[in-house]
Amino acid sequence: MNRYTRAFAGPLGAIALIVVLMSLAMIVAGTSPIDGFTALFVGALGGRNEIGETLVATTALLFPALGICLAFRAGLFNIGAEGQLLVGALCAGALGAALTVPGPLGIFLMLVAGAIGGGMWGAIAGWMKARFGANEIIATLMLNFVAAAFALELVSGPLRGPLAAGAETAWLEPKYWLPALLPGTRLSIALLFALALAVLLQWVLARTVFGYDLRASGEAPEAARRSGINLGRITWLALTLSGAIAGVGGATIVSGELHRFNTQLSPGYGFTAIAVALVGDLQPLWICLAAFGFGILESGGLAMQASAQVPKDAIHVIEGLIIFVLAARRYVATRVEGTLP
Amino acid sequence: MTELIVTLIALTLVKATPVIYAALGGVISERSGVINIGLEGMMAAGAFFAVVASFATHSPVLGLVAGIGTGAAFGYLLAFAATRFKVDQIVAGTGINLICAGGAAYGLVLLFNQPGASVQVASLGDKYWVLVVAAFVLAAALQWILYRTPWGLRIRASGENPSAVVSAGLDPLRLRTYAVIMSGALAGLGGAFLSIGELNLYSDGMTAGRGFIALAAVIFGRWHPLGATVACVVFGFFEALQYVLQGQIAWLPANAMQALPYIAALVALAGVTGRVRAPAADGVPF
Repeated sequence: MNRYTRAFAGPLGAIALIVVLMSLAMIVAGTSPIDGFTALFVGALGGRNEIGETLVATTALLFPALGICLAFRAGLFNIGAEGQLLVGALCAGALGAALTVPGPLGIFLMLVAGAIGGGMWGAIAGWMKARFGANEIIATLMLNFVAAAFALELVSGPLRGPLAAGAETAWLEPKYWLPALLPGTRLSIALLFALALAVLLQWVLARTVFGYDLRASGEAPEAARRSGINLGRITWLALTLSGAIAGVGGATIVSGELHRFNTQLSPGYGFTAIAVALVGDLQPLWICLAAFGFGILESGGLAMQASAQVPKDAIHVIEGLIIFVLAARRYVATRVEGTLP
Repeated sequence: MTELIVTLIALTLVKATPVIYAALGGVISERSGVINIGLEGMMAAGAFFAVVASFATHSPVLGLVAGIGTGAAFGYLLAFAATRFKVDQIVAGTGINLICAGGAAYGLVLLFNQPGASVQVASLGDKYWVLVVAAFVLAAALQWILYRTPWGLRIRASGENPSAVVSAGLDPLRLRTYAVIMSGALAGLGGAFLSIGELNLYSDGMTAGRGFIALAAVIFGRWHPLGATVACVVFGFFEALQYVLQGQIAWLPANAMQALPYIAALVALAGVTGRVRAPAADGVPF
């Protein structure tokens, strides 16, 4: 296979696999795949509102997926995007509820707060890894639970909005809402930020010294170390930036979509984003496409559950299977080229 | 006060038990050279199918068997991918976690027609203590097997230097496969303890990161069965402490206290620097 066929074999193979597996999940649930897919696509793309919701999910997945991509490229398996997103959203929500500045400045400050919150959460794992050699996979996952517990504590008590029914912060003033991109839907300009970030990340990874150091640390840590790259610095920087990107994503959910923070704001975006990043082959621009695909599954999944009686959770099984198969595919691909015995 | 301490000790052992099973699974898998990130998912799958089998047969013992079998099956899946396809074990394990958690949620709707939690099924009831004792016995047994039997030596050799195993005329991939299947079976048993031992139903997210806490225990216990067991008891203590304190001291922040076992795991993870060494070929495909 040459590099062009491989570039297409990945995403196309993944799509074919998704279709087959979804069909199986539908048949098991007693629905014909035709009905199931019809329900899925009508639910995801059948109208202005549906497209808006699909792109909302795309945006929510794209931020953490880009963060995960950055960490993975540095050889760091960040499975804590869920917690980083949550902390970012909490910081943005708490700040936004207290702000008294002009609108655009307020929105900017909220996004910064999201980046700082998420970045701090990623930095804890990065510091533990760089300073103590603590396994980042376990550390980032443990921090998800810590984030959820503290977020619940804070919004149940000190940060709880005066009129909130549950564990939620106060509503944001409308001037702190991200402007709508598709009027009449919940889609905000956060999607444009995410796409711009993808382009920026692609450029950083491919064209800057920092991106080179990052990739070198991921692909050949020993060689990187001997060529003078400070692996510890790359480790904590990569996990901090990774968390910051997920945290900005959390802030955009608060400012653009829900207009306040609540602890249920992410239905596992941080985990689905792992599948998004891997299906996108850890290339930021492919990840945009993958995020759209998974956005269709996320928003169409609810409709599929309602009208075709296929449990939405089938999608998560499929995400897992895809990750699993992609892991094997990489081996098969390298074997075809003869670079591995 | 005495009563409180007795409660705390008893609860510590109960909370430690499922994590011990998973951690023993983690030790044997990593000793053979395969990192089993999928412990969490294998626990969830074991917990779910234990409930399904108990629901279908009204026999909690068959439920346990189903839990063990399910875990073993997913263990085989990981082993197959790790030995035959030389996949990135971390990625494959993450895939297994998503498959199992999503699959259980899908199965809940499909079989019990209700999202979130299953119906109540026949549980082990007050006989669950047998599994608590068994966890510690098993830890001692595994310590003996790994360090005192030829098979244990071979497993450890597969994780330290698989080429040497080949030189001895044995197949490290086969040894790894056996080890990872056992690892899955143990995780499945730990999951079954959660669902039909401590409770009598499956609910989404009930494993709550215990598979990862088990992985932290493996590292903290320096890849020794008994060491990992001690670490699990420490984590179990913090989980139990959180429950006991909540009932006793009203001003404690109840929600934040739930983070206690995870923070303990984080501190343990950071606290063992430089003093531990993983098996040399841990996570390296052969």
